[in-house]
Amino acid sequence: MKILIVEDEVELLIGISNYLIKENYICELAENFRKADEKLSIYEYDIILLDITLPDGNGLKLLETIKKRQVKSGVIIISAKNSLDDKIKGLDLGADDYISKPFQLSELNSRIRAVLRRRQFDGSSSLYYKEISIDTDSKSVTVNGKEIKTTKKEYDLLLFFLVNKNRVLTKEVIAEHLWDDNIDLADSYDFIYTHLNNIRKKIKSAGGNDYIKTIYGMGYKLSEQ
Amino acid sequence: MKFLTKINRNYFFLLTLILLGVSISGYFIIQAIILNDAKESLLEREFLIEKHILKTGEIPNIYPTVEVKIIDHRITDKPQFKEVEIENELEKELEPFLEYSSQVKIGDWYYSIKLRQSSFERTDLALILALFLFVLLLSAFAMSYLITGKMNKSIWAQFEHNLIEIEKFNFNEKQNLNLKKTDIEEFDRLDKVVTDLTEKLRSDYFSLKEFTENASHEIQTPLSIVLLNLEEVLQQDLNSETFQKVVSSINAIKRLSSLNQSLILLTKIENRQFKAEQVIILNDIVRRKISEFEPFFETKKLKVELNFEQDFKLMINEQLAELLIGNLLANAVNHNLQGGSIHVSVLENKLEIYNTGEANSLTDKTIFNRFAKLNSKSFGLGLAIVKNICETYNLEIHYHKNDFHCFIITSK
Repeated sequence: MKILIVEDEVELLIGISNYLIKENYICELAENFRKADEKLSIYEYDIILLDITLPDGNGLKLLETIKKRQVKSGVIIISAKNSLDDKIKGLDLGADDYISKPFQLSELNSRIRAVLRRRQFDGSSSLYYKEISIDTDSKSVTVNGKEIKTTKKEYDLLLFFLVNKNRVLTKEVIAEHLWDDNIDLADSYDFIYTHLNNIRKKIKSAGGNDYIKTIYGMGYKLSEQ
Repeated sequence: MKFLTKINRNYFFLLTLILLGVSISGYFIIQAIILNDAKESLLEREFLIEKHILKTGEIPNIYPTVEVKIIDHRITDKPQFKEVEIENELEKELEPFLEYSSQVKIGDWYYSIKLRQSSFERTDLALILALFLFVLLLSAFAMSYLITGKMNKSIWAQFEHNLIEIEKFNFNEKQNLNLKKTDIEEFDRLDKVVTDLTEKLRSDYFSLKEFTENASHEIQTPLSIVLLNLEEVLQQDLNSETFQKVVSSINAIKRLSSLNQSLILLTKIENRQFKAEQVIILNDIVRRKISEFEPFFETKKLKVELNFEQDFKLMINEQLAELLIGNLLANAVNHNLQGGSIHVSVLENKLEIYNTGEANSLTDKTIFNRFAKLNSKSFGLGLAIVKNICETYNLEIHYHKNDFHCFIITSK
């Protein structure tokens, strides 16, 4: 999968690309409007991460060009302004998603995968981890070929783990992923634990292993060790 | 009191005084003049009578105006004027007269001459003249009052117009203050000062707003970098202590960012940057939010009771409506007891949210303040935002506690 990252803050640009390269994406970088425009006129990308506040132009303008030239590519807007106007404008102009700064890489990855799935890129609709697999078209989870019934939240939770396998996820990241983060609900992270336990039980009863490790009581990780 | 009314009132008092003063003193002055005149004419008559006696030796007597007698000797040689009352023969009434009496020697004889003139005419004349003066002044004043009133109206009209313009002035609108020229130096000076002042205020206001917004947004980028790096550190093989430190740093960064966003939001609400485009039925928002909050209710084992009696319709920005209900519910959950309850009821123009919770020291006055908080986990901005949204849309919100913590929103 080929990704173009447009972001004027170079450190952020490199940080995102390092992470995405580890996740087996091919990344190209553009730190301003001009470079992004140039790259977009030559190459094709599956996903474009677009910061809309660029020093030499408005990212929303770039979005219009993308929608004309690169119909296939999915666009995720990155913005420092958590403003609804920008969000609506961006989505109206054909962006697939909108993520506001500061975001976490696991959340970004999850959004990228969701856009890829929605745009029906090859192989993007099924995710596997060992004996666990998720079919995102039918929203079903199978363990050892046997389908297990999950609630909406349990499914979302498991999908988040499978997308971010071998990665430490803190309780807060998971909570924000499952619920809108604009609510100031400081001490309500316990519910994750309940959902997580249900999934573990369901996987075990289908003969699967518990791969979701608890790390020092503050985070979780889907891994073998 | 209006400026013109004030001036007119003062004018009126002053004119009344002047009018009365001038008329009364006029009366006395006229009377004195006439008296003086009467005295002169009496003296003149005496002179004529003396001449007549000397020439003809005839003694004229016309009672009561002329009374001449021959006397033996002179008692006094000083002539004198005095006011006397003499009976009118026709009407049998006492009438006032000015009497001149003198004793003179004409030829070889002494004569006593008494000349009188009726004072009636004199008083009447003075009264008539004083009255005439009064009417004349009154009409002059009335004319000038009407004319200046008309003039004032046209002169102040432009001032009035400018005043209304200034009253309508709103910082948030880009439109400039549109003041009319008045041809009056003082007014134009005032207009210029006001115009300059508002321009300066507006530009300061906008640059401050821009600065706050830019600063807040710029903060998000370095926070992103910190967060990104910390998240990568978290992926390494860390011992428990380091892991905890990194997680708590990540959470601190997130809190900082969300605090920043809340402040931006507050500023935006205060600056009325959210537009209300349609009438929202709050009941729908409440239903939606309640279902979103379901997992949090479950976690705390809260009993939620809903009571929708009527539709609460409101012209409000939908995002802010969601924020309003969301923050109130979050508050009801955060400060609730394990196994407590929440009661939400919606009536026409009224929304009530009651929840159980621990006793606190906050009151209706303090609970909506920024950074008013009971524990360190929240910022204490949630209810400040609620209050701000309410103020923006002319809603009243009150808090009181009995067995429950009660928040009541009513539309004014």
